[in-house]
Amino acid sequence: MMREESAIPLVFKVIAGFALVVLLLPLVIVVLAGLNAGDYLTFPPQGLSLRWVKSFLSSPVFLSAYFYSFLLALCATLISTVVGTLAALYLARSSSKTSGAMRGFFMLPIVLPGVVLGLALYVFFTTTDIGLARTFPGLLICHVLVTCPFVIATVTASLVGFDISLEEAARSLGASPWTAFRKITLRIIAPGISAGCIFAFIVSFGQFETTLFLAVPNHEPLPMAMYISLRYKFEPTAAAAGIFAIALVVISTIVTSRLVSLRRVFKA
Amino acid sequence: MKSTSKGILSTRRGFLKGSAAGALALGTGVNLFNINHAWSQDVTYDGAVFDGGGATLRIAEWGGFWQEIMRKELLDQFEKDFNCKIAYESSFPWFPKFVAGGPQKPPFALVNWNYGEMFKTASAGDFFTPLDEVVANLPNAKLIWPFATENGVGVTWSYSRYCYAYRTDLVDPKPANFKSFWEEKFAGKRGAYITSNGLQMDFFIAACKLFGKDQYDLEAGYEAMRKAMPMKISDFTGNMQTLLERGEVELAVQHDAEVYQQMDKGIKVAPMLWEEVKPILTQTKTVSRYIEPMEKKLAYALLNRTLETKLQSVMGSTFYQRPVNKDVVITENLASKGVTNTADSVAGYWTPDWKSYNENEEDIVETVNGIFAG
Repeated sequence: MMREESAIPLVFKVIAGFALVVLLLPLVIVVLAGLNAGDYLTFPPQGLSLRWVKSFLSSPVFLSAYFYSFLLALCATLISTVVGTLAALYLARSSSKTSGAMRGFFMLPIVLPGVVLGLALYVFFTTTDIGLARTFPGLLICHVLVTCPFVIATVTASLVGFDISLEEAARSLGASPWTAFRKITLRIIAPGISAGCIFAFIVSFGQFETTLFLAVPNHEPLPMAMYISLRYKFEPTAAAAGIFAIALVVISTIVTSRLVSLRRVFKA
Repeated sequence: MKSTSKGILSTRRGFLKGSAAGALALGTGVNLFNINHAWSQDVTYDGAVFDGGGATLRIAEWGGFWQEIMRKELLDQFEKDFNCKIAYESSFPWFPKFVAGGPQKPPFALVNWNYGEMFKTASAGDFFTPLDEVVANLPNAKLIWPFATENGVGVTWSYSRYCYAYRTDLVDPKPANFKSFWEEKFAGKRGAYITSNGLQMDFFIAACKLFGKDQYDLEAGYEAMRKAMPMKISDFTGNMQTLLERGEVELAVQHDAEVYQQMDKGIKVAPMLWEEVKPILTQTKTVSRYIEPMEKKLAYALLNRTLETKLQSVMGSTFYQRPVNKDVVITENLASKGVTNTADSVAGYWTPDWKSYNENEEDIVETVNGIFAG
């Protein structure tokens, strides 16, 4: 282990360190801006204070947006994880000539600009009059479309080196297809599912472009509420909301990696 | 709860209209669907409280703190009084949502706009109930200044005046007129907005008018923008407030409501109201044309209540917005800045030709963006 680390050239370590700083610096700025004592969202902060954190916690708009986004991301993650895992299994094992095209089709939602996808869905929901325009199910469908490719990608990656003979061996020893899948396949691809799950949650929670057209009246998700706040007030409440969003994503990542680790779930 | 609704009138006028339309349809092959649809029925509102029967009124208006105040000061009570639910949408913009569904499937019944996008939507289709029909159903319309309905599309219910905001401790002498913005001393310290911001649109049209032959003289506007460089370009007015507070910008395009708010926060700024032309940043509401009768009646009722002195005063004390209701006594926070609500003070407000702007928008945006990019 020590040998492997020392084999990494110094220049790569420096570049990696720089990349890490670039990635983490905005988070530090958001946190400090949220603790700003001044009236506007500025950096560096004009002193430190909890006034905007309190403002966030007492704001009915921000709080409801926060929990609404959480609920939406949770539902989208659950559906995407199931659908994405099934799709990845099919794509990895299918010998059909169309599977390549299908893989491209499944990835389309993240290739398309979010605004285009949101508008396209809005127009589709409106013109077909199927009652999904600006409803929770309509918004959820959109989030599932956007998050599913991440699950498919990570689960497909975990299936690349998967030895199908392991599952066949279980079957030959009398295991049913479901038992063989549950005790062999699922355990092996669990890290991929877990990673996809985390990606799905983060992407859904922070989704803005598609939501712009499909947001539900009386229920705006957190990114929308933050944008609106910045647009009209430019107060640090949005940054304070960012602190709670970051905290939620970090906690969700930890919890998801623990709970969705199917090795643990199916250990018995 | 009183229920004094006249409901949907089945009048002789309605019968004649239906008969005439039917004859026309038979003669010309027009689709009969529209004629017999519920939205073809007359809807009248007389100002009284009525039972909405739990119907939903879809409205679109600004979000955040604005939404909180609207809920608290107007909408919650309205829902109780009229036994209805209000679906409040704040995810701007509204224009694509109207256009995507077409006039007969409007996403909202009552919408709050600034002028630019409202005129763009109005010219894109038959989305809105004609203004004279709306005004006829607003008993409180007799209390408002004439300019509030002169735009011909919607009812303006609140507004602020376009101005420059300047730092009182850094700018001496204070800017004298619209063209002061171009004085050499403000190079690099003057502020305007990106082309999608309504303030920038109004500023550009005013520059066309005051530097050129008229408001249609786009070349004069482009030249004015060129001469204003270098300047700080901001996305939102909130961001401009920050730049002013920091002193990075000493003179900026603004509307007076935000300047007054900053003044009361102790920031050393003041407004220089444009007098050569007097455009106003309006809050204007439209009622969608093709909606169910009960929703349209609720839309009239809510718009009518919006014009009452109570809410107009709240808009003044909370958002430093000026009233359109003649009877409103200006709140102290505005009166202390010299704002009045008299026939003289509201005389001469100017509405740019937004139809023309929208027709030339592509060219304007491309050219001005090029100027701003250097």
